[in-house]
Amino acid sequence: MNAAPSRSRRLALTLARHAAWMLPSAPSSWAQAMRHELDYIADDSAALRWAFGCMLASYKARLTHWPRFSRRPAWRHVATSGALMLLIGLALQERAGGQTEPPRPDFDETTCDLPGVSTEIRPRLRCGTVSVPRNYDKPDAGRFKLAVVVIKSEQQPSWPEPVVYINGGPGSPLTVYAAHQARTPYAPRRDLILVDQRGTGQSEPGLCPDLAGKLLEAALAFAASATEEAFATRQATYLACRDQAIGRGLDLRDFGTQVTAEDLEWVRKALQIARWNVYGESYGTTVAMTLVALHPDTVRTVVLDSIYPPNPVPLWSTTVNDARDAFFANCARDNGCSMSFPNLAETYRETLARLDQKPLLVTVPPQMRQPDDRVILTASLFEAVVTNLLYYPTAYPTLPHVIQSVHDGELQGLGQSLGQVLGPILAAQLAAAATQNRATHAAVECRDRPHYRQHLPAGAHGLDRRQLYGICARWSDVGPPPLVPAGTRVPTLVLAGQFDPVARPALSRHVADLIGGSARFVEFPLVGHNVRQFSACGARIAADFIDHPAQKLDTSCTDRTSPIPFLPKRR
Amino acid sequence: MWRHGYDLSKETGLKSGTLYPLLMRLSEQGLLESRWQEPERSGLPPRHVYRLTATGLALAREQELEAVAAERAGVLA
Repeated sequence: MNAAPSRSRRLALTLARHAAWMLPSAPSSWAQAMRHELDYIADDSAALRWAFGCMLASYKARLTHWPRFSRRPAWRHVATSGALMLLIGLALQERAGGQTEPPRPDFDETTCDLPGVSTEIRPRLRCGTVSVPRNYDKPDAGRFKLAVVVIKSEQQPSWPEPVVYINGGPGSPLTVYAAHQARTPYAPRRDLILVDQRGTGQSEPGLCPDLAGKLLEAALAFAASATEEAFATRQATYLACRDQAIGRGLDLRDFGTQVTAEDLEWVRKALQIARWNVYGESYGTTVAMTLVALHPDTVRTVVLDSIYPPNPVPLWSTTVNDARDAFFANCARDNGCSMSFPNLAETYRETLARLDQKPLLVTVPPQMRQPDDRVILTASLFEAVVTNLLYYPTAYPTLPHVIQSVHDGELQGLGQSLGQVLGPILAAQLAAAATQNRATHAAVECRDRPHYRQHLPAGAHGLDRRQLYGICARWSDVGPPPLVPAGTRVPTLVLAGQFDPVARPALSRHVADLIGGSARFVEFPLVGHNVRQFSACGARIAADFIDHPAQKLDTSCTDRTSPIPFLPKRR
Repeated sequence: MWRHGYDLSKETGLKSGTLYPLLMRLSEQGLLESRWQEPERSGLPPRHVYRLTATGLALAREQELEAVAAERAGVLA
């Protein structure tokens, strides 16, 4: 359906949307099922008839859930003869009967209680909450308060159509970083909206807030040795959290990317924004794509910075292998790096084999908060560390040296590297991991990702075993899937890093291809995940795109990337 | 066998306005299960598909037998 939709088709879509809106008590999947089915009906007038029937179906469903009508046999006749009249009638009855009204989108402004906010930034911030339905199909099932921060542009008057930034995770907080976000806007002339996704940061519900701590304690042990015992302990920790959440009256089906996208749509309405620019990063790209697919008319542009793989998700360890190999190949092509570290890929493999034979006891910086500032470096822990460092271009110059030091058992050099560059990175990463809500992470992923219900084969890679395999099947059932807005007309920019350990550049390009003619794809050399954070070139391209999506993109800065300043081998 | 809503509608002659309330009711009663099927072509959304649960199937067979029995009763009467 590349041609402009006909009037009948447009009307059919409107009716189907209306049907979805009218279907309050049935699971959301029904509303969606009816709407999606439309796309499979080639004939426009048949589609219109279908959509009209869906609307009637939704009225009937509503009536049967409405106590005053549920036992009347004549409801079918009533519904078919006066559907629109009934809509008005029902609305009136709801008021008159003193029934609970469905929640309306509303921004409740509060004082800003955020860390690190300077006196310059403070006047630009508006903080508050928006109460969203826990379940969009059951408006009476309670609400969650979401934390929302609006950052006014430094340049006033700001341009219309603000940017909503959707951060990665799932499970990571956002509004706590408002001060940093205010200093690094995506499109400086526009206001910026930040939302803590449900179950993260300051947003409700607080889903097992202590899980991160418990898991963090186990994480290094698990990274060090992914034994069956470590696996079982981790699984039990997750399931205890699940039981605790259910005991508190939470429904774990109230999570997932589609519901998060609906939350953002609710926030948009609460802030009375007609259209906005959507910037999704990492997992935020999943939410952003779903939001565009569900509410295309509300999005002016969308940037997808570092794709989080859509279903079907490739095994993570294979993606990491490719990213690492690309990094090693870069070293081999670099004169300095290849002189100091000939055949780094082979050195790395030997290092793993040596650590398998004999783990090293390594002194680490105090900020990593390890007992006695020491860690037993096993092969799988080392692999996890190298994988983490691939996210950080600031670590690239040191990485070959670290591998060589561990290979040679040269702990003094390793200690220096850890203290100067890598320690702070790893410590920051541990701190960020501690603020992530791991229960929300599981709650969203288990709804979104059917593959976590499969069993990993025996002897699976440690990186894959640390995913949610073996947990989701006992956590909740699969929810409506995250969506890719294939064929959308919303101007889309896809940014990918050459060494991205989360999605291969080829996969990101594939997503751009799926989206179609409205998507532009740019690959950034010598960058990992999170392009904009680590590439001034990426930040400029994204800002240009948001402000002028119709203009030809100037991506020439990607050709002027300086080589990695590899540290030479110490003698 | 998993079936799509539109195909079911064509096969049974029921319009969507009749079909979906039936499907919803069957689903609520645990007689019908549904799942999302990945789109066959890119550019299309995932599609909802349905089939009878074991209970639904048993009930359907029971009703079929009853119907056959009723027909026979009619013939005999």
